[in-house]
Amino acid sequence: MKFTLLVQLSWRNLWRHRRRTLILITTICVAVGSVLVLNALLRGMQMSMVETAIDNLNGHFKVVAPGYLDDPGIKKSFRFEPSGHPELASYGIRGWTSRVRVPAVIRSERETRGVQFVGVVPGSEDISFLGDVEIDGEYLSGPDDRRILVGHALAQQLETGVGRRVVLITQGVDGGNRESGYRIAGVYDAVGTGIEKAFVFTGITSVQELLAVDAVTEVSVRLTEGVQEPPVLHRLTRTFTDLDVRTWQDLEPQAAMMHEMADATVSIWFLIVMGALIFGLVNTLVTAVMERIRELGMLRAIGMRRGAVIAQVVIESMITMAIGISVGVVLGLLGYLWLADGIDLSAFSEGLELTGIRPELIPRLWAQDVVLVVGLSLVLGFLASIYPAQRAVRIQPLDAMRR
Amino acid sequence: MSDLVVDCQGVTRVYGDDVVPVRALQGVDFGIAAGEWTALAGPSGSGKSTLLHLVGGLDRPTDGTVVVDGKKLNDLSESQLSDLRLRKVGFVFQAFNLIPVLSAVENVEFIMQLQGIGPSERRERALSVLDHLGLGDIGERRPGELSGGQQQRVAVARAIVTNPVLLLADEPSANLDSATTLELLALLRTINEERGVTIVTATHDPIVMDHASRRVLLRDGRIESDESVSSPMLPV
Ligand SMILES: Nc1ncnc2c1ncn2[C@@H]1O[C@H](COP(=O)(O)OP(=O)(O)O)[C@@H](O)[C@H]1O
Ligand SMILES: [Mg+2]
Repeated sequence: MKFTLLVQLSWRNLWRHRRRTLILITTICVAVGSVLVLNALLRGMQMSMVETAIDNLNGHFKVVAPGYLDDPGIKKSFRFEPSGHPELASYGIRGWTSRVRVPAVIRSERETRGVQFVGVVPGSEDISFLGDVEIDGEYLSGPDDRRILVGHALAQQLETGVGRRVVLITQGVDGGNRESGYRIAGVYDAVGTGIEKAFVFTGITSVQELLAVDAVTEVSVRLTEGVQEPPVLHRLTRTFTDLDVRTWQDLEPQAAMMHEMADATVSIWFLIVMGALIFGLVNTLVTAVMERIRELGMLRAIGMRRGAVIAQVVIESMITMAIGISVGVVLGLLGYLWLADGIDLSAFSEGLELTGIRPELIPRLWAQDVVLVVGLSLVLGFLASIYPAQRAVRIQPLDAMRR
Repeated sequence: MSDLVVDCQGVTRVYGDDVVPVRALQGVDFGIAAGEWTALAGPSGSGKSTLLHLVGGLDRPTDGTVVVDGKKLNDLSESQLSDLRLRKVGFVFQAFNLIPVLSAVENVEFIMQLQGIGPSERRERALSVLDHLGLGDIGERRPGELSGGQQQRVAVARAIVTNPVLLLADEPSANLDSATTLELLALLRTINEERGVTIVTATHDPIVMDHASRRVLLRDGRIESDESVSSPMLPV
């Protein structure tokens, strides 16, 4: 009941200077709203980058033989028995697949190019871009399909196409060359030409036969959306004891860096706008306390406790922040909904292709981010009221009323 | 001795420092019995306000003891003094008595809220006091919409609604014209006589002195004379 009294008093006091309070609240709204919209855009960008990085045959985690990343080749392969790793079917994992990936040279009648020759289990590639890529011709029928898929850009370079034959040459375990002819089952059309030129796919057993091995070079694991990475990583590390479990951040350091930069950008923007805002808030609160010196002195004289004086200033600050934050969140949501269909970035898409950002930016607003921004703003509103509250509580009733 | 509402012994209050001490009160012995209306008189600077503040627990003596309602104020902590002011003393100051953002009735309720009295009881008591003091029709107005005299009367209502043992008023008529002053004094007379509230007014206004039942004249921080008035002037 004493609390409601203070709230009521603070509320009335706020509207003593309607204009000043409204300006302050507007500032808070704009700050919170802009942080949320910017946050949603950067999250969208991050997600798009992460998805691209994960889609590009990485997965969230990739299990490889030690040293494979420095010197990829069939020498760094390992035998893999899925039945020995029941963790792969556990909570949080959307899917996994094994592959044999070796550097190779592809030769058509006219051209020769260096590529990654990847033996896959077609049915479980729904965890990578291959699962829903557009294909001209046919998809691979199964792990022992001996035909290949080539990217659109590569097919153009090689001046070849669906149904034609090409030759692939790679190194065996002994270091000697292995060579075999393959028919093109389909030509795929990926998001970036980089991918199309890099990867040639076939059934996993066809690569194993070519190299005369019964091993794989990687197991790629994809998480269910929203699942935290560290605990799953921990479990995988424990089950693949002699192998390396690498994260997508290890595999795509550039994307990981961009990811962190986006985080930092939001934080910096938040600090800048909130810093300016807190400055204004402290100023206004101090002004409000100074204007009311005599009144506060009178209140202390008739028996209001110091704590109540402090609480009054703090509550005034918190009410201002709460109104500003509430309207700011609504503004942020409206801004987000307005942009929710996505922003067409195709005008800049040449530059973006390198970074792995898709030409359409879909903003993402996460509840946890909204909660964080709201929480931090409230904390700042509280911190901002400490100094003005100290000023208020130092007021001596007699000094104040003698003015 | 214990039936005194206020008992001051050897009260001294020195302001400033050792180099330039200002002796506002110099060894005042002074008691007030329940139901008295005492006027502290004397020229400006004689120590009236200082004495009033010491009695109300707003200030502490440099020397001597102040006992109010059996409690020795010297021994009380800051927050205990705050509590004493809230529960035992009603204050009416020269100006700025009311909270500008609250209506008259809310101002009266406010002090009961500080005491933790529930909403229905305090509204009832506030309305009844305002009514009793003839302020029933201005209860919803804010201080800015009231005349100086009305504001002071609301302040009196605020001061007595908690049934304090003591009502202290420091120059309550300083900002009022003489007609309005007489209205205020009539009001104080009513609550002194009908409710038996003990009142101390500090004033250099002769009209105020004429209404009190006892006149204590201060000069240079000492009591010069102390006389009871058998038949104080009747309200006009
Ligand atoms: N806070 C203070 N600091 C220094 N001197 C003060 C203070 N308050 C009062 N005084 C001095 O104490 C003396 C008595 O003041 P006061 O009690 O206000 O007198 P009165 O109310 O009778 O006019 C005066 O000389 C005044 O200047
Ligand atoms: Mg005075």
